[in-house]
Amino acid sequence: MEFKDYYKILGVERTATADEIKKAYRKLVRQYHPDVSKHENATEKTKEINEAYDVLGDVEKRAAYDELGRGQRPGQEFRPPPDWGSQFDFGSGGDANANDFFSDLFAHVGRRGRTGAGGMGGGAFRMRGEDIHAAISIDLRDAYQGAARTISLRVPEQDPAGHMVTRDKTLSVTIPKGVTPGQQLRLGGQGHPGIGGGPAGDLYLEVQFNADPRYRIEGTQVYENVPVTPWEAALGASISVPTPSGAVEVTVPPGSQSGRKLRLKGRGIPSAQPGDLYLILDVVLPPASSERARELYQAMARDLAFNPRERIGA
Amino acid sequence: MVQQHSLTGVLLDDVALTLEELARACDVEPDWVVRHVHAGVLGSQDVVSVQVTSWRFRSMDLQRARRLLSVERDFDANEDLAGLVVDMADEIRRLRARMHVLGVKLP
Repeated sequence: MEFKDYYKILGVERTATADEIKKAYRKLVRQYHPDVSKHENATEKTKEINEAYDVLGDVEKRAAYDELGRGQRPGQEFRPPPDWGSQFDFGSGGDANANDFFSDLFAHVGRRGRTGAGGMGGGAFRMRGEDIHAAISIDLRDAYQGAARTISLRVPEQDPAGHMVTRDKTLSVTIPKGVTPGQQLRLGGQGHPGIGGGPAGDLYLEVQFNADPRYRIEGTQVYENVPVTPWEAALGASISVPTPSGAVEVTVPPGSQSGRKLRLKGRGIPSAQPGDLYLILDVVLPPASSERARELYQAMARDLAFNPRERIGA
Repeated sequence: MVQQHSLTGVLLDDVALTLEELARACDVEPDWVVRHVHAGVLGSQDVVSVQVTSWRFRSMDLQRARRLLSVERDFDANEDLAGLVVDMADEIRRLRARMHVLGVKLP
């Protein structure tokens, strides 16, 4: 793995106090928060900042990181000693992230949880594994049809000798039909392993949609721009429109303008309460690129006496 | 070593989380959830009138709880302030989604 300089990421000296680290972190979190930042890699940057603070903001983790990182340079190939970390006891962040340098680094170290399900009673320590949170990206058509997606996670696991090691786990996840952005899928028992025979935690996957060049999504509602000719818009027409659930015949009402919305009830995302599909008409002018086309435009100009700027007093 | 498992996810909107499960998923004590529900910043306010053991939480509650927790931890904020920040961020997201739907591009 590559060594990551968390001090550099937070822009602080190695001698920085806890308060200075916290201040630097807060400033960066505000600067790169994906909801407000214009930075194109804001999400990635936020992830990196959080990872760095997760370590440097914790006295124990910071001490361990300092011990390991002595003499290391950012980007340098790095491998921790085999039994390194046995004197440390860390809580885990709970987020699954294949690129998380820290989760690799500390995978073989015992984890401490929030509560002991079963606790320390009876002499044997038994604890439920922590839940893991991750995201899964799907296409709109997956929400219409359901799909299977393969995801890879790097999770800690106890080897036969009782040491914690990281293992790449590949899961083939069935995405049910009708999911919407932000919904959570729970995969029971796929989180961190339990300790002392305790049950494993769960894996939560937040559903995210890949950007689609044709469709836009808002909850269960889907929006699609549909180009129409001026005569289809003016005279009305029956047109064939490709939609996420297949081509449909749609009636364009006469006298339509660009921006007119046609609602196809129940043709949005097929959730328990199916959404609607909105077709937004986009009147497209044919180019006046031939003599005949120019004659037709000239005839319209002459015969229609149409002033689109009448309402603005022109 | 790579192992492959085939699994079917359960949508939290079909099988909701209990108070304990939500707390565990957020790595907090159940009291944290109770306090935030009573403060009116988490969960449907209909749940307040029913027994705590009957409280149920769905996808958006889990997402919101994790965001509240993140604001509280990052900025030492209390639940009211965290609730306000998350509400404002939600409003920004909603307006951006609306603009995207209407084909309006942000400068």
